[in-house]
Amino acid sequence: MDFAYTEEQRMLADSLRRLVQDEWGMAARRERAAAATLDDRAWRQLAELGVLGLTISADHGGFGEAPASLVPVHIELGRGLIAEPVIPSGVMSAALIAACGSAAMQQRWLPAIASGEAVMAVAYQEPGRRYETEPSLCKVQPVQDDVLHLSGVKHLVWHGAAAQTWIVSACDVDDEPVLLLVSADAPGVKVLDTPTLDRTRCARIEFDRTPVKADAVLAQGQAARDALATALDWGVAALCAHAAGAMERLLEITIDYLKTRKQFGQPLASFQVLQHRMADMLVAKEMALSMAYVAAAALSEPDEAQRRRMLASAKLEAARAGRFVAQNAVQLHGGMGMTDELEVGDYFKRLTVVDQLFGDTAEQLAVLQALA
Amino acid sequence: MDLSWTAEERAFREKVRAFANDRLPRDIREKVLKHQRLHREDYVRWHCILDDQGWGAPTWPEEFGGTGWNAIERLIFEVECFKAGAPRLLPFGLSMIGPVLMKYGSAELQQRFLPRIIRVEDWWCQGYSEPGSGSDLASLKTRAELDGDHYVVNGQKTWTTLAQYADWMFCLVRTNPEGKAQRGISMLLIDMRSPGVTVRPIRTLDGGHDVNEVWLEDVRVPVANRVGEEGQGWTYAKYLLGHERTGIAGLGHCHRELNILKEMAANTSRQGRPILEDSRMRDRISRIEVDIMALEMLLLRVAAARGDAPGPEASVLKIRGSEIQQDLAMLQMEIAGPDAWPYDPDWMEAEASFQGPGPDMAAAAGAGYADMRKTSIYGGTTEVQKGIIARMMLGL
Repeated sequence: MDFAYTEEQRMLADSLRRLVQDEWGMAARRERAAAATLDDRAWRQLAELGVLGLTISADHGGFGEAPASLVPVHIELGRGLIAEPVIPSGVMSAALIAACGSAAMQQRWLPAIASGEAVMAVAYQEPGRRYETEPSLCKVQPVQDDVLHLSGVKHLVWHGAAAQTWIVSACDVDDEPVLLLVSADAPGVKVLDTPTLDRTRCARIEFDRTPVKADAVLAQGQAARDALATALDWGVAALCAHAAGAMERLLEITIDYLKTRKQFGQPLASFQVLQHRMADMLVAKEMALSMAYVAAAALSEPDEAQRRRMLASAKLEAARAGRFVAQNAVQLHGGMGMTDELEVGDYFKRLTVVDQLFGDTAEQLAVLQALA
Repeated sequence: MDLSWTAEERAFREKVRAFANDRLPRDIREKVLKHQRLHREDYVRWHCILDDQGWGAPTWPEEFGGTGWNAIERLIFEVECFKAGAPRLLPFGLSMIGPVLMKYGSAELQQRFLPRIIRVEDWWCQGYSEPGSGSDLASLKTRAELDGDHYVVNGQKTWTTLAQYADWMFCLVRTNPEGKAQRGISMLLIDMRSPGVTVRPIRTLDGGHDVNEVWLEDVRVPVANRVGEEGQGWTYAKYLLGHERTGIAGLGHCHRELNILKEMAANTSRQGRPILEDSRMRDRISRIEVDIMALEMLLLRVAAARGDAPGPEASVLKIRGSEIQQDLAMLQMEIAGPDAWPYDPDWMEAEASFQGPGPDMAAAAGAGYADMRKTSIYGGTTEVQKGIIARMMLGL
């Protein structure tokens, strides 16, 4: 093991920190989130730094970095509460297509993801079915030789409205899962875009006999299950690093506040009970950061059961520590922590929803129980 | 000692329950149970319905138009109304300035203001906290200088709950800048329509607007609107905060939210089974039920022992009540699971018939969780309450 950043990783992290400081300040970030459309300039900046093609192979226009490089990059994105679809597109869709796409599909889509030209989202959740990954409400059936019709509903599609292309899971006439590429401007598609608690967006997407060419099928059967699982694994790993970065920055913000705010004639930072609380928060952040490394390591772990265990554990810890740090950061800010005027609330909400993405605590505990 | 409910108490509970189920307007009930936001008219309507029944001031003695109920009857009333989905009673008049006027106000102030509280003819708000004075309330800086038969008030109040609807504010001001901070404080009643009063909304992290900043610039307040004596405001303020802290235990709120929680757990399934049947979830619900049971008995003990002027035990209630309210909101959010992620602020404000993006109960779960963080901050933070317990109960 070697925990030192490579020269490339260090440079990338430094550049990202500067970019995030300059371009993802609270006001700019909130404005972009409220706009409900993807800000081209912000997206291009992320692409130009190599964030979107980070782990895409050099043959396909990416940087070909190892999965571990997700950690330094997504820590920085988490510090800035980046709300652009880096994880759905640059991480999950890229990993999914690399896992199961034909050579032609990889050639078509991976360079486009890396350059930011393609914005993709993975539509796998269905209403009323929580985190189940086996499709059931979305169905495909052949209507002509090379055309399928897709019908049904997906929801909670992270950045579904910003994406031009979705990777949709559906079941075929034999009740086997299929992964399809569907263009957002295809006929028979209805999108309901909703803001989320943490100022990103998600979409409910209804398909009504949406025609899909047979060559848009990415994978079927077990290959489709495996590829979707890979996408979620990569999403979890990136999210764990993002959460650790958000915790790290939130600690800094809270320390600054405690040093500045005075009550009873002295800075809040001088009260031992608050110092100890901050120490507890730091301990939680360090645990979560360590588990973000575990999650990234899991992406290269060949043993299936061990990989599942590592990712479920990391996800649990990110959610638990994130909630603890966020709750206490608000508490230490007192009334000011409850307002929308400070950033602390933005970090609180992002760290709160970490649990809700890609399987909550109950799901992860069930995974661990099944492996025990 | 007799620890069982008497026949009278049981009959009283039935009577309140029947009344609340019968008379609480359906639209208000629906908003409350779905965690949508209430507006001024919703509160006023419910207060008037209560007054029509003769229950408009359930915490007041009969001589001031109250019901004269004892602490146990009040508790039964609160819990049953909350369980039925009634709005909380506005505390600003009934539980805050009302009791202060009864104890320390002149007969003139009592006659002028108390009757108008019951039907919310006057909506009151609390001018306590300031930007630099939260937990350290005694450091407040809003000045009041005597000018003939008026005080001229300058300063800024903050976290003023529902000030956007208020007609009057009871306000702590500094009338004497010399000496010990607590000694120079007086309490004034300020007409919110006075020139120089400006109310500005504070958006909170759940996207709501419950709290405000109130700016006071050369506001002229008649000396006759001072409560009690000049320089004694801190005594009145502490008396009022003691009242606030027993109410702040939120027992009725806890009972209602527990019911909502169980209903959500019964109606939300995970992998084909209601979450209520999940043993991990059942354990957590059981723990919260135990917490609420203990909170209720604690509240009864404190109320029976101290009556109207609870002492530092109120801090115990405040700490546990706020933690339980937060736990309930967190569990509700966990039951909503992925559906708690989308959040449409418009839905929170909309009429109950509006169709939200997800299941109704999930739509407000994230915002509710965020909003409930306030309970361990307002009315004296948990840290401040622990300081009170250490000093006054432990003698440290």
